[in-house]
Amino acid sequence: MKKRLIGLFFTLTVFLLIGSACSTNTESGNNDQVELSIFNIKVETKDQLEEMIAKYEEENPDVKINLTTVGGGQDATSALQAKFSSNDEPNIFLLGGLSDVAKYQDYLIDVSEMESAKTAIDGTLEGATLDGTPYGIPLNIEGYSWMINKDIFNQAGVDPESIGSYQDFVEAVETIDSQKEELGLESVFAFSGKEDWVVSQFSSHFTSPEFNNSVIEAYESEQLDLEYGSRMKEYTDLFNQYNAQPILSLDYSTSVEEMFAGGQVAIIHQGNWIIPSLDSIDESFASEKLGILPMYVEDDTEGKIIAGPSWFWGINGDKDEASVEESKAFMDWMYTSDYGQEKIMSDFKYIPAHEGYDTDAIADEVSKTIYEMLMNGETGVWANNQYPDGFFSTALFPEFQKYLNGDITWEDFEEVTKENYSKMR
Amino acid sequence: MTFKKSSYWMFLIPCLLAITLVIIIPFIQGIYYSFTEYNGFQVAAFIGLDNYTRLISDGQFWDSMLFTAGFSIASVIGINALGLGFALLVTQKFSKITSTLFRTIYFMPNLIGGIILGFIWQFIFLKAFASIGEITGIDAFNGWLSDTNTGFWGLVILFVWQMSGYIMVIYISFLNNVPEELLEASTIDGANAWQKFWKIKFPLVAPAFTISMFLTLSNAFKVYDQNMALTAGGPFSSTEMATMNIYNTAFKIQEMGYAQAKAVIFLVIITIISVLQIYITRKREVDL
Repeated sequence: MKKRLIGLFFTLTVFLLIGSACSTNTESGNNDQVELSIFNIKVETKDQLEEMIAKYEEENPDVKINLTTVGGGQDATSALQAKFSSNDEPNIFLLGGLSDVAKYQDYLIDVSEMESAKTAIDGTLEGATLDGTPYGIPLNIEGYSWMINKDIFNQAGVDPESIGSYQDFVEAVETIDSQKEELGLESVFAFSGKEDWVVSQFSSHFTSPEFNNSVIEAYESEQLDLEYGSRMKEYTDLFNQYNAQPILSLDYSTSVEEMFAGGQVAIIHQGNWIIPSLDSIDESFASEKLGILPMYVEDDTEGKIIAGPSWFWGINGDKDEASVEESKAFMDWMYTSDYGQEKIMSDFKYIPAHEGYDTDAIADEVSKTIYEMLMNGETGVWANNQYPDGFFSTALFPEFQKYLNGDITWEDFEEVTKENYSKMR
Repeated sequence: MTFKKSSYWMFLIPCLLAITLVIIIPFIQGIYYSFTEYNGFQVAAFIGLDNYTRLISDGQFWDSMLFTAGFSIASVIGINALGLGFALLVTQKFSKITSTLFRTIYFMPNLIGGIILGFIWQFIFLKAFASIGEITGIDAFNGWLSDTNTGFWGLVILFVWQMSGYIMVIYISFLNNVPEELLEASTIDGANAWQKFWKIKFPLVAPAFTISMFLTLSNAFKVYDQNMALTAGGPFSSTEMATMNIYNTAFKIQEMGYAQAKAVIFLVIITIISVLQIYITRKREVDL
C-alpha cells in the first residue's frame, strides 16, 4: 500500500511538472502595457537598436519591446520561419526580398499611410511592393561594388579618380600587380569565393541591367538570360587571375578584416556595411583610404554600382490592434523623429532611405558617394535579392565555384545557371 | 507480469506521452508531408509519390548520399582503430594518475560541441596548416578545404578526433573485463603481446565492436553541425552531406515536402544499414 502511494506521488509530480512546463507565461504584470517583439537580422547594429529601444521605452512607459537578433553566420531566414511555424510571430521583422514579402503577405499590413513610408525616398519602397501595395519600410540604403584601398592605388601611381572605363580598370589592376612586391601586397584582389552571398551580389551587377534595373521585373522574371554574361566572364577571369589563393576557401573575415584592412590587398567586392568593422580595426581607414569603384557592364565607359534598400521592416497585422498601432508608432518614431534621425546617421552609420535627413552629415566618403550615385541614377538594383528561393546558394554559387576552380567552362556555367533559374522560379 | 497494475502504467505514461508528442506524431506528420507540396506554412497540394519519383533523378542528393557513405566508412574505421588503440594504451600498467590523465585528455574533444569543433578545425586547416606549409615548404599543407579531397579528409579528421575518445571508454570497459587468468595462462604458454592481443583480447572485445560500430556508423551518417561549421558543403556543394542537403532543400529552397521525402528515404537507408551491421557483428561475438 505504501509503495503504491509513493508511486502515485511520483506520477503526480511528473504530471505537474509537464503541465507547468507546457503552460506559457501569459499576461504577466501590467495589463495596460503593450509588448512588442522585434526580429532583427542586422547583427552589426544590434547595440544601436537596443539603445534606440531603451530610449523609446523611456519615453513611452506603457510599451515594452523585446528584441531578438539572429544573423551573421546563422541562417536568419530559417530562424524567422521557425518563429512563424511555432506561432511565436514577432510584431516587427525584416524582409529580404519580394519573395519574403509574398511569403508573409497574409500577415503584413499595408504601410502606405505611415509617416515613415511617405518620407521614404522615391523608389525605395519598390522592393517591398506587391500588386501596388507597399508592405515594408526600407531599413537603409546599402551599396556595393569594388571596394578599394586608395592608398595602395596612389602608391602604385594609379589615380582612382582617373579610372573611367573597363579598360582603365584592367590596366590599373595590372599596374598594381606589377608592383606587388614593392607595395608589400599579397595579391591585388581578395574576392571571398567561400561566401555564397558575395558571389550572389557580384552577379547582381550583370543581372540587374537585364531586368531594366527594376526590382519588380527581377522578381517577376521567369528566366535568366545572362545577357551580360561575357562581361561577367571578363570580370571573373580578371579577379580570379589576380586573387589571393585558394580563392574557394577565402572567407569574409579573412578577406575583409585580415587582408583588406591589413593592407595586403587592394580590391575586394563588398559594400558599405564593412565600414564599422574596418573602423574598429583601423580608425582612419574608412575616412582616408577607402574608395569605391563602379563596374562597367552595359557600357564600357559608364560605370554603375548596386545600391538601394536591401532590407525592409514588415509589420505583423495578425496581432491585436493595440500592438499593431504601437508597432507603427515605433517605426515612425525611429525614422522621423529628430532623435531617431540623428542616431540613424551618427550611431547606426546608415545611409538613410528617407528624406529629411541631413545628408551632408554622412560620415564617410564611400557612403556619400553611394548616396550621390543613387540620387543621380548611376546605380543598379539588388537583383540578387529577387532570385528564386535558394537559387544563389544551391545553384549559382556551386557552379560559379566550379568555374573558378577550372572544373567547368563558362558556357557550362551559363547553361546550368539559366536552366536552374527557370526550374526554381 | 505486472502489466495490469495501474502503477505500472502510471509510471509509463509520462514517458509514452513525451515520446508520442515529440517523436511519433511528428514522424507521422512528416510522412504525410512527404506526399505533399508544402512550404512550411500551408500545404499547397497533395501530389502523391511525385516527390519520391523526382528524388530518383536528383543527382545532388545522391552525390551527397555517396559522400556521406564514404565519410562514414572512413570515419568508422578511423574511430574504431584509434579508439581501440587509445583503450589499449590507457589500460597498460601505468600509475593511476597517468592513466586517468590520459583518459581525460582523450575524452575531452567529445565534450566540445560540433559547431565549435568545426570552427576550431577550420582555423587549424586554413591558418595553422598554411603557416606550417610556409615554414616547411611542404605543399601538402596548403589549400586545405578548398577542394573536395581535403574537405573530405578534413571532415574525417575532425570527426575521428571528436569521437574516438568516446569509443575508447567503451573499449576500456570491455578490456578491463578480460579475465586476468586467461592472460596469465597464455603468458605461461609462451604467447607474446601480439598474440595475446589478437587471440585473446580481440575476440573478447567483439561485443564492444557491435556497440561502437553502431554508435559511430549512425552518428557518422547523421553529422550536420561539424559539416556546417567546417566546410558548409563547399567547395561547390561537393562536401555536402545528406543531412545538409535535406536542410538546404527545406530551409533554403523552401521545399519542405520534397525535403521531407528525402528525409524519409534517408531514414530508411540508415535503418537498413544499422540493422545489417548489428546482424553481422552479432554473429561474430564470442561468449566466454
